[in-house]
Amino acid sequence: MKFGGTSLGDAASVKHVAGLIRKYVQTGYQVVVVSSASSGVTDELLNMCEWSLKDEKLIADRVNALFEKHLYMAEMSIENCGWLNSVLEILNSSKRELEKLLYGIHYVKEITPRIRDYVASFGEVMSTPILWGCLSSVGVKAEWLTGWDAGIVTDSNYGEAKPFIELSKLQLRNKLQPMIDRGIIPVVTGYIAKSQDGSITTLGRGGSDYTATLIAAALKADEVWLWTDVDGLMTADPKIEPSAGTIKELSFEEAVEMAILGAKRMHPRALEPAIADNIAVRIRNTFNPDNPGTLITSKPTEGGDVVKAVTVTRDVGLINVQGFGMVGTPGTAAKIFQILGKANINIMMIAQTVSESNISMVVPRKTLMKAVSLLETTLLGTDLVRSISYESDIAVVAAIGSGMRGKPGTAARIFKAVADEGVNVRMIAQGSSELNISIVVKDDDCEKAVRAIHKAFHLGR
Amino acid sequence: MVGFGVVGRALAEKIVSEREELVSKFGLKPRIVAVADSSGALVDERGVDIERALEAKKRYRYLARAMPNNVVKTPLEELLENFDYDVLVETTPTNIVDGEPGLTYIKIALSMGKSVVTTNKGPLALALPALTEMADRNGAILRFSGTVGGGTPILDFGRMCQSGDEVVKVEGILNGTTNYVLTRMYSDGLDFDEALIEAQKAGYAEKDPSMDVEGFDTACKLVIIANYVMGLTVTLKDVEIRGIKGVTYGQLKELAKSGKTVKLLGTIDKEHGLLTVQSREVDLTDPLCVWGTLNAVTFHMEKLGSETIVGKGAGGAETAVAIVRDLIIVKRFLMDSLGGLPLKSL
Repeated sequence: MKFGGTSLGDAASVKHVAGLIRKYVQTGYQVVVVSSASSGVTDELLNMCEWSLKDEKLIADRVNALFEKHLYMAEMSIENCGWLNSVLEILNSSKRELEKLLYGIHYVKEITPRIRDYVASFGEVMSTPILWGCLSSVGVKAEWLTGWDAGIVTDSNYGEAKPFIELSKLQLRNKLQPMIDRGIIPVVTGYIAKSQDGSITTLGRGGSDYTATLIAAALKADEVWLWTDVDGLMTADPKIEPSAGTIKELSFEEAVEMAILGAKRMHPRALEPAIADNIAVRIRNTFNPDNPGTLITSKPTEGGDVVKAVTVTRDVGLINVQGFGMVGTPGTAAKIFQILGKANINIMMIAQTVSESNISMVVPRKTLMKAVSLLETTLLGTDLVRSISYESDIAVVAAIGSGMRGKPGTAARIFKAVADEGVNVRMIAQGSSELNISIVVKDDDCEKAVRAIHKAFHLGR
Repeated sequence: MVGFGVVGRALAEKIVSEREELVSKFGLKPRIVAVADSSGALVDERGVDIERALEAKKRYRYLARAMPNNVVKTPLEELLENFDYDVLVETTPTNIVDGEPGLTYIKIALSMGKSVVTTNKGPLALALPALTEMADRNGAILRFSGTVGGGTPILDFGRMCQSGDEVVKVEGILNGTTNYVLTRMYSDGLDFDEALIEAQKAGYAEKDPSMDVEGFDTACKLVIIANYVMGLTVTLKDVEIRGIKGVTYGQLKELAKSGKTVKLLGTIDKEHGLLTVQSREVDLTDPLCVWGTLNAVTFHMEKLGSETIVGKGAGGAETAVAIVRDLIIVKRFLMDSLGGLPLKSL
């Protein structure tokens, strides 16, 4: 079981979570708990890095405020004095370490990715002992461990470190299985680990999910439960489509597709270990534990329509490269991608007409102007390209569902649905895996398009 | 664009009015992501509304006064460090005492690996070897066609003369204002002071004409030629400078009888490493002997003999052409370094 930041947002939530865990342990479940940082704390720590560089005077105050928040959480959630004191001792030593670290940053006037990960690790290092203390206090036999003590080893790609899967699994098994066998619940920090040379690393946004699936794979768990503050993955953003409901079952590939396409709260890579060892993943709501949530497996039971969810990705821009010189000239697309790739600009969607006189692509909006400038500089004035234009006010709407595979007419239903709403489609892409069909529309139209597709495939509750 | 005076505005006007041609002829689509005058900067990564900026500048003289809500007051140093751009076009006024503020702006841009196009002689006259080194080491280029001869491509003409041969000596009339003064003295029999007032009335001379009259402007240009064309590493302090103040009408009249006149000449003698600016006698038949505000430079080569290039030495629109010429070269440089395709021949 992995608990997200909002599940550990305050003392009441921590108590609630400890109660949940105890309930499952008492019914005979063998459980490993993975804990995120309390909500907002990781961001605050990363902010601290930046202003520690500039302002020494603020360090003590901000660290104090952060510490007070955790102190209060501990005091209000842990009733047993003995456990509370052990937790306070851990928190105090973390506080001293963090403060020294931030002064260090201030004096060396440098914040490297390695140090940033070190600072970011404090969120979990503070939240996990509190959950452990609370569990112990309600009579659950538990031990808390950092990700590295549990056995996770990564490369040194700070900020987005990749675990050595087999090595980590081996060490996790050796460390955690004996604890479980002795009836002890391991409570492990999510998100953080160490590199081979012993520096603290982080697994990137949503990294706690990754920690959970990795541990599950190591222990050959039956299921991974990712506890969050929603009932599961939704058929659409409920803020856009009020009738959107929870998706009951999804395949791994559909879930990955959704994670990439902006269904929040999941790292696309986090499912990898679960996929490799075929372990079911369930997304559940901490605050509505009776709801079974969304079950993600390799073979979901069939049912429902061909489209399972409609997502929208905003904050993107469209670039259009046009020129008859590109017709029949091999390598034009490669050139474009190489130029943008070198500048670290991610191309999210590509379409080219079969006449080859036109290539359109979608990039994140914050890199749009950079991409346009690069392409103008490098391609205008060559024989290949005549014009480069862009639109910044667009959004990508995607219909996802493996049921559309080999089922003719799905695209037609989508286009009819949006056309009936008077929405103009500027660009279309579908991979040959037929897992999703993506369309580009004006940003103003995107909510209308989501609602239209949602309705056409009867996804509403 | 840092600097939004005569030259900066002429460039902006050119970019606006020739938008289509610049793309179709040169593949050049400059997007002005920031424009700054001494009052502040307009910034927009999608391109500043340059027509509005031009109008505002015309009516209110300062961007900040015209568009107080749009202008950012961030110090330019900070903007140049933190904002994304490909090339800095620097057209702030020439200052030969310390080159500022242009020198600092150029250094920041180069240190960030951004290319620079400038029309500002001050920073170049004081620090051209250092700036060239910074550009090379940071993978950028520094271009300054517009600093010598306005739109007349004197510098690149000189480079071509140097290519396959060796330029051993350069002589040139590099300052239009003093040439105008000498022309009026010669043809209309005016005294120096009278001719200078005429030049000021015609808008050719500044209220404080010392930069031109005392020879500093010519000296700056000489330094730029020496570095760029001949590969010398010299700065303003290496130039021996004398102006035209002592020249009288009587002197000119007397010299005319023997087919000569006096011009303010800048001279580079490579063998002796001498750079001088002084009024010197010139044959009336010498191709160098041009009149009015014209500039002329003769490159003396080891094998080819002498080649002279003549042209208008200044003017906003002319200098804007030189900047665009430099921007095309920056574009080619960027295409190479970014892995683009070869530009079709221009």
